[in-house]
Amino acid sequence: MRTDTVIIGGGLSGLTCGIALAKRGQRVTIVASGQSTLLFNGGSMELLGNIDGIAVTTPLEAIGTLPQSHPYSKIGADKIAGLADEAKQLLADAGIDMEGNASANHWRITPMGVAKPAWLTLKENLRIDDLDKLPAKRVALMCIRGYFDQPNGMLAQGLRELGFDVKAIEFTTDDITSLRRSPSEMRATTLAKRLISNSALQRIADQINNLSDDAELVLLPSVFGQTDATDFQTLQSMVKKPLRFVATLPPSVAGGRIQALLRHYFKMLGGNYLMGDSAVSGQFDGDKLLGVTTAKLGDMPLKANNFVLASGSFISRGLVANYERVFEPVFDLDVDADGEREQWTRFGVLEPQAYSRYGVATDNDLRCMKDGKPIQNLRAIGSVLSGHDAVKMGDGTGVSMLTALAVTKGIISGK
Amino acid sequence: MAERMQLCNISDNNFEQCTKCSICTTVCPVAAVTTDYPGPKQAGPDGERYRLKDHAYYDKALKLCLNCKRCEVACPSGVNIADIIQHARMKAGEGQRASLRDTMLANTDLLGMVANLVAPVANATLGLAPTKLVMDSVMAIDKHRTFPAYSRTKFTTWFKRHAAKEQDAYPNHVSYFHGCYVNYNFPKLGQDLVKLMNAVGYGVHLLDKEQCCGVALIANGLYKQAKRQARTNADSIRKSVKDDHLTVLTTSSSCTFNLRDEYPSLLGVDTSDVRDGIMIATRFIYNLVDEEKIKLIFKQDFKKRMAYHTACHMQRMGWQLYSIELLRRIPGLDLQVLEQECCGISGTYGFKKENYERSQAIGSILFKHIEDAKVEAVITDCETCKWQIEMSTGLPVENPISVLADALDVEATRRANGLQI
Repeated sequence: MRTDTVIIGGGLSGLTCGIALAKRGQRVTIVASGQSTLLFNGGSMELLGNIDGIAVTTPLEAIGTLPQSHPYSKIGADKIAGLADEAKQLLADAGIDMEGNASANHWRITPMGVAKPAWLTLKENLRIDDLDKLPAKRVALMCIRGYFDQPNGMLAQGLRELGFDVKAIEFTTDDITSLRRSPSEMRATTLAKRLISNSALQRIADQINNLSDDAELVLLPSVFGQTDATDFQTLQSMVKKPLRFVATLPPSVAGGRIQALLRHYFKMLGGNYLMGDSAVSGQFDGDKLLGVTTAKLGDMPLKANNFVLASGSFISRGLVANYERVFEPVFDLDVDADGEREQWTRFGVLEPQAYSRYGVATDNDLRCMKDGKPIQNLRAIGSVLSGHDAVKMGDGTGVSMLTALAVTKGIISGK
Repeated sequence: MAERMQLCNISDNNFEQCTKCSICTTVCPVAAVTTDYPGPKQAGPDGERYRLKDHAYYDKALKLCLNCKRCEVACPSGVNIADIIQHARMKAGEGQRASLRDTMLANTDLLGMVANLVAPVANATLGLAPTKLVMDSVMAIDKHRTFPAYSRTKFTTWFKRHAAKEQDAYPNHVSYFHGCYVNYNFPKLGQDLVKLMNAVGYGVHLLDKEQCCGVALIANGLYKQAKRQARTNADSIRKSVKDDHLTVLTTSSSCTFNLRDEYPSLLGVDTSDVRDGIMIATRFIYNLVDEEKIKLIFKQDFKKRMAYHTACHMQRMGWQLYSIELLRRIPGLDLQVLEQECCGISGTYGFKKENYERSQAIGSILFKHIEDAKVEAVITDCETCKWQIEMSTGLPVENPISVLADALDVEATRRANGLQI
């Protein structure tokens, strides 16, 4: 099977690249080995959040100070602002309404109640532009009885430390109580599928209106709206006070929605999305990749003029570590990683970890290196790239989207 | 150390690879509509940890699993979650007898053989209100269901009478595993395949001996019988692929998945040596077209707007691409590719009275998408999806092979492939 481009990986970077190429008339096939880490995303994108543990307020400026090994530096710091605008527009075109801009970070609130710098956040989520000017003082934190993917105590404590006057209020409705018959399924994504009728939303709104007394802002876990934001709008029309969602622990409704909308948009543009298949090997002719064999398509490899590796980091198996080495499992590409196993990790899970920066080695056009030489038509994007650190630098989603858009330009221009 | 630890750590179903990420729970169609089912993570790898200690931890709610395999498709770690659940069910069902209802539903070929003999009577009787009421109350087969109509002439009978003789004259050859549905209910699909393959220069041949693939037997707990039939089929397929060098084509996604993957994983009947020789017909045809070995020429006046539904087992095989890409080659076909959702029937599951409401609730998302697509018909590779969608939306549902055969300009195609008309 031949298309113009084959993308290995169906998460944020793969879908962004696929959409951008399909919009320019390319025929694109995406191979996705299962659902992606977007399901761990609470509804925000980050461009650059921290450098050496210090929060970044103006990411575009800070990006100029990054070392040459960082993917942003390879794209070119001067191109970031334009690509960031393009990324925001692509999300909007897919039906994902996010607020924020690349010149100044705002703050998102994690499920644990910590404020972290962010670039874009879903409109219905709590977003703080300035920690010295909170959007409200008295806050009602509505906690769903029996829902275990929100650590309410920590969340309330975190919000208090930010300066909110928080009242945590537990509530339930008949619908929620009946769902508790299956305690292992009291998850955000299950609630989002079951709490959809106007009457179920009205019963929740009634509880909120009864219990939130003098609050200026009502916070509710993000367990609504798996296909679009209309459930939020319906709830807001029923709740008498301003309402915002707070991110939950995964699987996340907001992240699932972002993934579903991007995938839908890609398919609408004529793209092929092979869900549940995975690339296993490639056929090379010198420094050119001819085709990719997948587990399911077997002896009929996917052929294309260009290939993009968007297979993610360790969690998505874009990178694999065994007892001897860190490697890229499909093509055995060159990786930037320490040789000695002792150097990979540091004691203390919250310490900066060397392995977070590992990834495939690329040239300045993000072409993948194999045996020290670039593969002419294989580019890497997103978390599989080396030189960045989604956890400690808060640059994961930005690198995913911006490297995807950057290589799109390379592929289209034929450079 | 590395080698040793990993060797000790590998199960048939990748059980140990579960990272507890919970992504499977987001796609389970059953857990989405009922609180009676604990969801794939709990029913699969989580519950398995207990069951490995003591099978008394088996939970009867596992019967609610559709075996749709969407959890396996979603799993980023390659865990065969539904296989874990099926194995637990098989173990719990050992030594138990299936009910009359389940035995009847499971024996699609036996039922078909009897019904064929009395097709007009059977169709009329099975469709009658009093019969339906008796089936509903006595047999617990839901009264809303209509059995697919039985054909008066079996596909194999038609084939022997009208097609078999001329097949040897073609330059290339394939085998065809037609399955129960084509044989007893809908010979037209088999006839469409013969028409299509003949037009591109391929003679079609039946296997020496074909029995029901057994997918319904497995679902209804008749494992011994399923294993017997699997061995017969595996032998016939092996003869075709190994001795006669003929690829075995199919037109049903669930039969195909069963022959290729569930025979070894659930029944312990090894088909790995011939697995690559069994495939859905659209994959075979697509590849020939892609490699420019054959040409398909379509009618100028074919104009239709249809929606493609990816059957769950088709997605599990990862082959919907072939059907979709072939259909896209029909110039007059305005093809809407639907988001993958489960239709809710899952073979015989939805026929059972206790599952009817759940089955329809599961399918409701798909039915809405179909309604929104504003099409005149739906296309899918699975016959039970077809029954469910036809009953629930009122739209006709066709197999991709039938759509291709319908749109094909047979004479022009035969000529383009160098055949005498």
